[in-house]
Amino acid sequence: MSRNLNKLFNYSLLKILLIPLVLWIISSLVFILLRVAPGDPVDVILGSGANEISREILRAQLGLNESLINQYFSYINDILHFNFGLSLRTQEPVLNIILKSLPASLELSFFSILSAMLIGFPLGFLGLRNKGERTDYIVRIFGIATYAIPPFWGAMIAQLLFSVYFNISPIGGRFPIFQQQTQITGFLVLDSILSNNIIALKDSLYHLALPSITLGFLLSGIFSRSLRVNLDNTLKSDYVNAAKCRGISKKKIFLNHALPNALLPIVTISGLTIASLAGGALLFEVIFSWPGIALRLNEAISQRDYTLVQGIVIFTSMLIVSLNLFVDILIAYLDPRIEY
Amino acid sequence: MQNKLLIYSFICFLSLIQFSCVPKNNSKKIIVASSGKVESLDPAKATKLKSFQLLASLGDTLYVLNSEGKLQPQLALGMPIISDDKLKITINLKEDIYFHDGTQFDAEAMKFSIDRFRRIGEHKYILGNKINYIEAPSKFKLVIILNKPSSSINALLTSINLTPISPTFYKDYSNKFLNDNFIGTGKYILKDFSNEKQLIEPNTNYWGDKPKNDGINFIGYENSSSLYGALKSKQIDVLLSNSIEDIQRYELNLSSKEKNIREGVAPETQITFISLRTNSYPFDSLNIRLAISKSINRKLISEKVSYNLRKPLRNIVPLIFKNSNQDLWPEYSPKEARILLEKEGFCDGKKLKFPLTYRSNVPSDKLIALIIQEDIKNNLSDCISMDIDGVESATMYDNLSKGEYPAAIYDWTGQYPDPEAYLKPLLSCSEIVENTCKEGESVYSGSFWASKKVENLFQESDSLVGNYRLDNLLKIEKIASESIPYIPIWISSQKAWSQNKISKPIFNGSGIISLSDLELINE
Repeated sequence: MSRNLNKLFNYSLLKILLIPLVLWIISSLVFILLRVAPGDPVDVILGSGANEISREILRAQLGLNESLINQYFSYINDILHFNFGLSLRTQEPVLNIILKSLPASLELSFFSILSAMLIGFPLGFLGLRNKGERTDYIVRIFGIATYAIPPFWGAMIAQLLFSVYFNISPIGGRFPIFQQQTQITGFLVLDSILSNNIIALKDSLYHLALPSITLGFLLSGIFSRSLRVNLDNTLKSDYVNAAKCRGISKKKIFLNHALPNALLPIVTISGLTIASLAGGALLFEVIFSWPGIALRLNEAISQRDYTLVQGIVIFTSMLIVSLNLFVDILIAYLDPRIEY
Repeated sequence: MQNKLLIYSFICFLSLIQFSCVPKNNSKKIIVASSGKVESLDPAKATKLKSFQLLASLGDTLYVLNSEGKLQPQLALGMPIISDDKLKITINLKEDIYFHDGTQFDAEAMKFSIDRFRRIGEHKYILGNKINYIEAPSKFKLVIILNKPSSSINALLTSINLTPISPTFYKDYSNKFLNDNFIGTGKYILKDFSNEKQLIEPNTNYWGDKPKNDGINFIGYENSSSLYGALKSKQIDVLLSNSIEDIQRYELNLSSKEKNIREGVAPETQITFISLRTNSYPFDSLNIRLAISKSINRKLISEKVSYNLRKPLRNIVPLIFKNSNQDLWPEYSPKEARILLEKEGFCDGKKLKFPLTYRSNVPSDKLIALIIQEDIKNNLSDCISMDIDGVESATMYDNLSKGEYPAAIYDWTGQYPDPEAYLKPLLSCSEIVENTCKEGESVYSGSFWASKKVENLFQESDSLVGNYRLDNLLKIEKIASESIPYIPIWISSQKAWSQNKISKPIFNGSGIISLSDLELINE
């Protein structure tokens, strides 16, 4: 066991050591791509009517008149000191902007994954329980259909149905327009629990419901399909047959032997989904006016706010790399078949 | 059967939860929605209409434009007094006006605010080098000394960028922006600010007429469908946006005609046009520019793209700012366009290549380009071969001055209510070499067109006032209409819609809604 733990430690260490290299490549790529892309932050800030003198003054103020190599080294140096600089557009520290918008994205991601599991798992079980029957086919078609629906279309239809026609859901935002929110951590659901404010909790859940259930609904197909397939394969495996022969009850076989093994690939899928959503579900954030990190990134790109784009990309990369690392280590720990 | 029952029960349960969770708006505050975020409430930083709208409610300016486009004193006691040499402007200020922090508004505060904008203002270039310095000879007298006579300075004094702020409160921000707070003299006080939501409440100590409502909640939505859906589902009271797509704008217009909602319309100030690169082939030829101008069917474009809600335009200065309603640019005439193109050697087996670039993130621009392309295919297919191409607006603005686009569609709204705010940014040039602009505004606008006569007329107009000045500026516009560096397409206006329980939104001459006049009329 200790030999295995040693191996796992070495494996994790190697993965951790690779993180700075990955982040350096990402940060260099984002720096180069932004400078290569057409468009100038100065034009976006000043508009097309400004004269050359005003442009030059602003360019100098923003540090854009420095040589690219100088800009690059100063940028890398700042990142090493965990300083993401100031937004070119608002002059607000980039880290503040990220920390203000990241909780919104993480909250949406968490509740979406939760909804996806709550919808996907029962459907997966239902399909397997009625294997080969009409219900199974319906569940399988549901899995494929939800996976195939373009998220922006699904979000717009949900908004149209529940916010406009039935008017039972807010059209967008995180909190009622006419109320002021108390922020402690930035996670509104958590904040309302911490502040013991039931009305705020109800309001934040009310705003969270439509985007998270819609996104969860669209993601649920992956969970139902993979649970059904993996559980089916596990139930046919030799060790399950051996357990049956030993007279172990069906319930025990299912809960202690089949389900944990069937859930291993789900951990990977969940990890990857959470990692991809951590960077924000862009189209959902745009459609539901959800003030998350992807929305900020989208705006920053259109405004050519170099520092903000760089900051958000690097920060979310760090988050995604860390989440992937966590999932890798977790899988390596849980699954004894994995060699490292 | 059991499954169906379960599914129905689940749906009923979800609906019940959602219905029971709907937060009730018991306040009498009005919810106003528009697109996007408010990045800054600093008058020196604000550049977007939504920020201007908020600042106009939180602060006052020296002068305002009424809905007829006439200058009216607000914080000033009367109209500006201009010296004989036109280099000194004296403005007497109203007394007994206080900022939201309790300090008194006076000439020093006004000087502080204008000087701050001249120093750090993001769009400080709108003042150019017009102002030499500002004095406050007495507590309520402001004197502006100009470098050279400037007749547009009066209009500039209505600019929201020059809204006075409390020098005491902004002591630490005299050289930097304060984005999330504002202390001015306006009818409303800022109560809560985030980029997405802002709450303003009436200023009980306001010196003038009090607001007719209990406050305004501002909300920003990210797309046209959300804004439209929010008004339709009555989740908001007033919708104020230029970013509403034309089909939804049309539906809202129909709804207002059916008296389901109310519609307020601002004066038309936003022009959409094609900029032609006049310093190289093929648009260096006046005949070709004229031919293209005559082949643009503005009426068809207006009908097909905007459902006739945006007016076809054959001028570059909006009518509200001038004393003539004459259309200056040539009328649509494919026959005359053909004759001109034949003169230039086209149509006889040789086609003119007409590449037109549009902003891909502006849906109406693409539709305009497509309509022009189809109309040319129908009428001049043997003379013109048209290619259309979309680029993101930030890319277009960057590349216009590099001469990347032979023809490009975009729009312009003057930064202050004056003809000069349309003519100078499009036609002015500071370095002319052989009738081509090497440096100046027409380079940034992508036309590279220049005329020494126009520059002289611009200089002349600085020392003229009233109708003489307007006539002079009209001469400039006429020269442009004969040389065709730009082809105007349509003119549009800011619109706002309110629920029937709210009074109709009313705009002033600068396209700003008077939020204090919004009133709950059917509670």
